[in-house]
Amino acid sequence: MTTQQKQTAVVVCPGRGTYNKEELGYFHRLHADKLNILDVIDQHRQDHNQVSIKELDSAARYQMKKHTAGENASALIYACAKGDYESINLAQYDIKAMTGNSMGWYIALALSNALNTEASIELINTMGSMMTSGIIGGQLIYPVVDENWHIDEQLIAEVEKAKILVDSMQGSDVHDSIYLGGYLVLGGNQAALDTLFKVLPTIQDRYPMPLHNHAAFHTPLLNPVSTKAKEQLGVSLFQTPKIPLVDGQGKVWQPYATDIKALREYTLGHQVTETYNFTKAVEVSLKEFAPDKLIILGPGATLGGAIGQCLVQNQWLNIKTKADFIQKQKEDPFVLSMGIQEQRQLVV
Amino acid sequence: MSSNSNTMQFPLSEKFIHAIKKGQLPAYTSELAPADTTLSDSDVIDLFETQIMSRHLDFQSRVMQKQGKSFYTIGSSGHEGNAAVAEALRFNDMAFLHYRSGAFMIQRSKQVPGQTPLYDMMLSFAASSEDPISGGRHKVLGSQSLYIPPQTSTIASHLPKAVGTAYSIGLSSTLGLDGKLKNDSVVLCSFGDASANHSTAQGAINAAAWASYQSAPLPIIFLCEDNGIGISTSTPKGWIEANFSHRPGLNYLQCDGLNLLDTYQTTQHAIHIARKRHQPVFLHMKLVRLLGHAGSDTESAYRTKQSIAHDESQDPLMHNASMLIHHGLMTADQVISLYESVAERIKRISEVACNRPRLEDAKQVMQSIVPPAIQTNSPPLVLTDQGRANLFRHEKHNIAKKQHMAKLINWALHDIMASYKNTVLCGEDIARKGGVYNVTSHLCEEFGPARVINTLLDEQSILGLAIGLAHNGFLPIPEIQFLAYVHNAEDQIRGEAATLPFFSNGQFTNPMVIRIAGLAYQKGFGGHFHNDNSFAVFRDIPGVIIACPSNGADAAAMLRTCVELAHREQRLVIFIEPIALYMQKDLYEVGDGKWCFDYPVPNQSSAMKLGDIGVYGEGKQLAIISYGNGYYLSRKAEKLLAEKGVECRIIDLRWLAPLNEKAIVNAVADCEHILIVDECRKTGSISEAIMTLFSESSQRQPTQRITAQDCFIPLGSASYLVLPSVEQIVDTALNMTQGESS
Repeated sequence: MTTQQKQTAVVVCPGRGTYNKEELGYFHRLHADKLNILDVIDQHRQDHNQVSIKELDSAARYQMKKHTAGENASALIYACAKGDYESINLAQYDIKAMTGNSMGWYIALALSNALNTEASIELINTMGSMMTSGIIGGQLIYPVVDENWHIDEQLIAEVEKAKILVDSMQGSDVHDSIYLGGYLVLGGNQAALDTLFKVLPTIQDRYPMPLHNHAAFHTPLLNPVSTKAKEQLGVSLFQTPKIPLVDGQGKVWQPYATDIKALREYTLGHQVTETYNFTKAVEVSLKEFAPDKLIILGPGATLGGAIGQCLVQNQWLNIKTKADFIQKQKEDPFVLSMGIQEQRQLVV
Repeated sequence: MSSNSNTMQFPLSEKFIHAIKKGQLPAYTSELAPADTTLSDSDVIDLFETQIMSRHLDFQSRVMQKQGKSFYTIGSSGHEGNAAVAEALRFNDMAFLHYRSGAFMIQRSKQVPGQTPLYDMMLSFAASSEDPISGGRHKVLGSQSLYIPPQTSTIASHLPKAVGTAYSIGLSSTLGLDGKLKNDSVVLCSFGDASANHSTAQGAINAAAWASYQSAPLPIIFLCEDNGIGISTSTPKGWIEANFSHRPGLNYLQCDGLNLLDTYQTTQHAIHIARKRHQPVFLHMKLVRLLGHAGSDTESAYRTKQSIAHDESQDPLMHNASMLIHHGLMTADQVISLYESVAERIKRISEVACNRPRLEDAKQVMQSIVPPAIQTNSPPLVLTDQGRANLFRHEKHNIAKKQHMAKLINWALHDIMASYKNTVLCGEDIARKGGVYNVTSHLCEEFGPARVINTLLDEQSILGLAIGLAHNGFLPIPEIQFLAYVHNAEDQIRGEAATLPFFSNGQFTNPMVIRIAGLAYQKGFGGHFHNDNSFAVFRDIPGVIIACPSNGADAAAMLRTCVELAHREQRLVIFIEPIALYMQKDLYEVGDGKWCFDYPVPNQSSAMKLGDIGVYGEGKQLAIISYGNGYYLSRKAEKLLAEKGVECRIIDLRWLAPLNEKAIVNAVADCEHILIVDECRKTGSISEAIMTLFSESSQRQPTQRITAQDCFIPLGSASYLVLPSVEQIVDTALNMTQGESS
């Protein structure tokens, strides 16, 4: 293809919880030609007496406890996402910006070259391994949209009511953790989560749904993690990105103009302890970069729905309902999830 | 510029690229280096990127216009140095921006994560209903989250309210109120060198200096972006500096608007003066205008090629590229790469923005004329009996007695100011003197000079102060001493206060109650300018409420309702007080006291609703519709007519805009004749609207009107010759009902 025929894309990096049973072997299945990616990662992990990604991805069976543990899942997902990123056909796509959800921010930093290869695994693995001796609090996910993916004020009111109740209970602590399209992820201590599971009305027989092995990410409960991270991860790890980055507040970090001290401060500070607004990150990516496609890196494809909900919220491409999104995806998909085989084929 | 189908080539752009590639940028000769400022290297690059973004937005708006997709091409080219002004300020320092402030807007957007300035600007070019500030009503620079109230194509009309807002900051602190702005905020107000000559600008700057000269806190920066030309008229060389550099009460600073570093540093200095010393600063920023006044402006028709070329050689993008390269912050290739990537990005965004929806019907367009009602967190205080007894201790011997209108309005103002802690009165002579008719007497003693403000003699400044106060959460009650005096300042209502909700899609509002003493019939006083009987200037302003009481009891109740409408519904209300009735105590004969009324005590009397009309009598032979002095005269006539056997019904409109058409039609439905008595002129008075109403309704009774002549009000008894009289009403009524003259 000629340069003029290239399409533009914003790349979305996956967060925790995207490497599940179905994804076992994802890296080796799809990236056998890029095993060098694992060299730096596994060297780092070996230095820290951690099981290698090679071993985790090649395991005979998926072990929830092992594969979802922060110290393993983070590097595993990073490796797969990096493999996917390097598989994008750059003759076909011009990548205009990168964003990510939650831990996906670290991956976006890595893939945009705001962290070099060594710094990437150091930061990702360090942040993923912060709670090996026990995670702080937890997360649950709850929908705030109706079946058409329109904001449901009733559900929002239910959540607000529940949060007020939790706030009134001594020893309970809950915060908005992630704005995830049509979902709200709440983070809190166990007492708070127990109450929320009791009082939030059950939706679709699934919600409120606990997020296994997740801590109360993006809440003030993680202040100690932020402090520790700042002690361990210096500014020298960071450099200016080569591709614009959209963070979890919707702030754009531009090549040339990125203040790396500020980038580190956000990454290890606000990003860790305050709400991660993925919805806003997608909105800014759409409006300020107007891409032809959004490419979601694997493993998994769980962000596709959340992004679809963001499209509905912004009526992007005239997508006004869930049905519109499904139709659009069938006819000429705007969101390309590399974790879905048929969409992957449109990217690689 | 040249064009080819839907793409356009801009020589300015080509010159920029060419100069960089050939190493022909203007030499960076300033001694100021990035390291001399508090900016980091990345901050400086970020500012430069903003300038490039602003430039490409200008280009793209012209491309879009050629495609029929943009409707506004007044750009910011040459003025991109204002990015550094934004960088030096805080995002919540309120900014009233003129239309060449694209770079300021982008830079401030960068201070608040999650903003989408490029897309939003494109939506406003395209007049999309999704434009987040105006909802597709106008291309304005504005944002609620960025503390930028929208301005349209302002010719300095935004300066008075910027001064008012700055004044409100100190006032908020003095009164211990939580305003919308922080107590250490600074206000920025930008305008051009041509606009600086406008009487509105001169008045506003004078008002700020007048206040500062007597040590009133006035934390404002007047940013004069001097490009040396106003459309086609050159500003005399040195004029701005000569004009503003030695004014009492005003600090003057000058910066090189082509140099980001100098602009940033000088702005920091200006901010220090405004924020720490609370003094006004005139920041004179010298720059150039590129790309003409607007897309439709052919500069070559009035400027020489050399002059245009000279300005192009002073392109701030070239100067700042030179600085970046000179100091090693970027390479020439990086500058070009950045420039081209921004161009490509903006083009992509515009393709999306062009196809977003637009306003589709009149209802949508008009939706934000009336601001949205709000759930206020600060309901008015309900005073206890003891509290009110204390409030009216100076009137304890009078409070139970019937009073004339001036006294009852005065009492209503006492109750209002005691109940609404954010109300502020401002006007000429309203404090210790109590106004020329004593309507505001004792208020200054009771509530202090901070809440009862004697202003300078300038109606634009009074209204600007009120608008500014409202921007910071106050509920202002400005007073215009005489109706005729509002005419030199009416644009502050018509073009500014009334349009704010409309152009901000209801996000910004400036609720207030403007009290205006007016109308004719003053005995032995005044002539035209104290007896002006025209308020036509307000009648066609969309969304404005006009109230006009005819008696003291109504006045007190209506004023209370007006304040409530401003407080809860954010409405802009004009309250016209008939001067001739201020002290009127009698109705039928001297000493009868029938035009004195009991004070309607708050919460003890039935509330007056917007649109409630007054109906006196149940007669069906004739309905007389009137208001203000006309109503008073009609009541006199009613007695005479009754004596002659004509049964009347007298209707007091009370609310002149919006007219409660249904109530008016219903009130006269069973009457045989209708007479409209209007003390204002035959042309443009409310009587025309009432006649039209009946003409368009199914009302078919014989209808006539009596109005003032299309004349100015002469002095002395001659004034009565051109105004409606009791005799005229009686004669006309008899003629209508009996078919003969009395």
